[in-house]
Amino acid sequence: MRYAFTGSMLLAVLLCAAPPAAGQSAAVPRTPDGKPNFQGIWQALTTAAYDIQDHHARLGVPAGQGIVDGNGIPYQPWALAKKRENFEARTTADPETKGYTPGVPRIMYMAFPFQIFQTPEHITLVFEYAQGNRILYTNGTPHPRGPITWWLGDSRGRWEGDTLVVDVIHFTDQTWFDRAGNFHSDALHLVERYTLVSPDHLQYEVTVEDPKVFTRPWKMSMPLYRRKEANVRLLEYVPSFLMQQEAVERERQKP
Amino acid sequence: MNARFRRAAIGLAVTLTASLDVGYAQIPDPLPPSIGGCPSEVVAFHACALQKAKTFRPPRTPGGRPNLQGYWRSLLTQPFSVEGVTGDEPLVGDLVMPWAKAPGMIVDPADGKIPYQPWAASVGRRGVNFEQYIDPRTACGPGGVPRLALQDVNQIIQPTGDDHVVWLFEDHRVNRIIAMDGRPAPGPDITLRIGHSRGRWDGNTLVVDVTNLNGLTWFDDSGNFYTDAAHLVERLTLIDPDTIHYEVTVEDPKAYTRPWKLVWALVREKTKGFELLEEACWEGERDLPLIREQGYRYYFGEPWRGR
Repeated sequence: MRYAFTGSMLLAVLLCAAPPAAGQSAAVPRTPDGKPNFQGIWQALTTAAYDIQDHHARLGVPAGQGIVDGNGIPYQPWALAKKRENFEARTTADPETKGYTPGVPRIMYMAFPFQIFQTPEHITLVFEYAQGNRILYTNGTPHPRGPITWWLGDSRGRWEGDTLVVDVIHFTDQTWFDRAGNFHSDALHLVERYTLVSPDHLQYEVTVEDPKVFTRPWKMSMPLYRRKEANVRLLEYVPSFLMQQEAVERERQKP
Repeated sequence: MNARFRRAAIGLAVTLTASLDVGYAQIPDPLPPSIGGCPSEVVAFHACALQKAKTFRPPRTPGGRPNLQGYWRSLLTQPFSVEGVTGDEPLVGDLVMPWAKAPGMIVDPADGKIPYQPWAASVGRRGVNFEQYIDPRTACGPGGVPRLALQDVNQIIQPTGDDHVVWLFEDHRVNRIIAMDGRPAPGPDITLRIGHSRGRWDGNTLVVDVTNLNGLTWFDDSGNFYTDAAHLVERLTLIDPDTIHYEVTVEDPKAYTRPWKLVWALVREKTKGFELLEEACWEGERDLPLIREQGYRYYFGEPWRGR
């Protein structure tokens, strides 16, 4: 029976399951060179910033369905222990609590908007959170030679039909995936896929590979939603600044 | 050494040791004899550039706007004081972070000084700010407007559709989004360190209105400042394919007696394959506790708050 699952049946299944492919999609905005136009302000609406996996509510943490494909993360045994340790120590060990740049893909699903700007040479992502910005080069240039440790990595993209595929390397090992202690090493390698599935929904999928931490590549996906409020714009949320402000306030209140 | 590798190594160093910000002495390079065909002296450059701007026909974006895109570095600038360094300042000759004698960037008023109100003159100009507070940039804050445009290499992007101009700065990784779609400014209760920028084209000149400023950035290492009442108007004009005349008019009825104007040149960085690097300041910052132990305070505008 297993072998009766033929190529054509598989194809039929894929066609039903896949988001609308090029040519079939709802009319999406396009740039003059015919590429899908991603420009605008976007925001994720998942609870992945708390925990990328399924989780029940805790005080201050909304329950949520995870964004990990199949929900399991294939940690190596030592890394699973480390993840649990991170979780226990999360209120002080999470790099977010120190006001650091949250890394990729975490910055993509923080509870803050980001704006996409597009030219034929690059697609620039500007984040309200921590003045982050990522330039996804689409001009055919390769990654710079390493070793380099960047908080937001080095991103080189190419178009596969209407999908932007971005290869990201050169990471620090200092960032986490979420507030639940999920982590990676400096060998992190991401392949992101951005597909405009409707004028207001940008499907984001990322394959995570890190041979130092995981036993195999794994995948996360979520939609990004277009912010539609009139005159909506990015403002500023810079944790380092706000932490300094709070320190000054605390000192002022001391007797 | 491969230039790209060398740049990457510098990026790594910056990531790991933000202390560079404190100990780093930026001695201006010798100026070229002319900049964009104009004299290398700020007042003469300003007059010459305004003339050149009348006849130069800039390249255009696909949408027909003047094309300012590319990587830019400032000339006719130094980080010490927008009023210039005469040579008498105590930090000239300092062993750790020596200042250098250098001209200022103020073209109006003619005396090259910020037209401070008396109280404000004792706050800026190596006054209260310099003596008692931590330069907000040293605390890993953004240089602010206009300091960002002189501090380090930056990139102007004009995205498809021409309804925004994006200005990215390598210095502490800061971005400015300039809305070109005629939208109104946000309400006055929203204030930002880099303000809110709305732009328009005046002929071939990009004119940027900066409002909603919180006044928590400085102009320079000397603590020269504006308050949350400031309003800036920047003008960027190509005067040849590789030179922008940059002008900013600063208005702040709380701090100054009249508006005043700074000018410098932005010159195209033409190194092949050049790209901005990531500079993470806060992540590597280890000096602030020591600086605060010496009594310096974080700058939240106390010297002018409540005026």
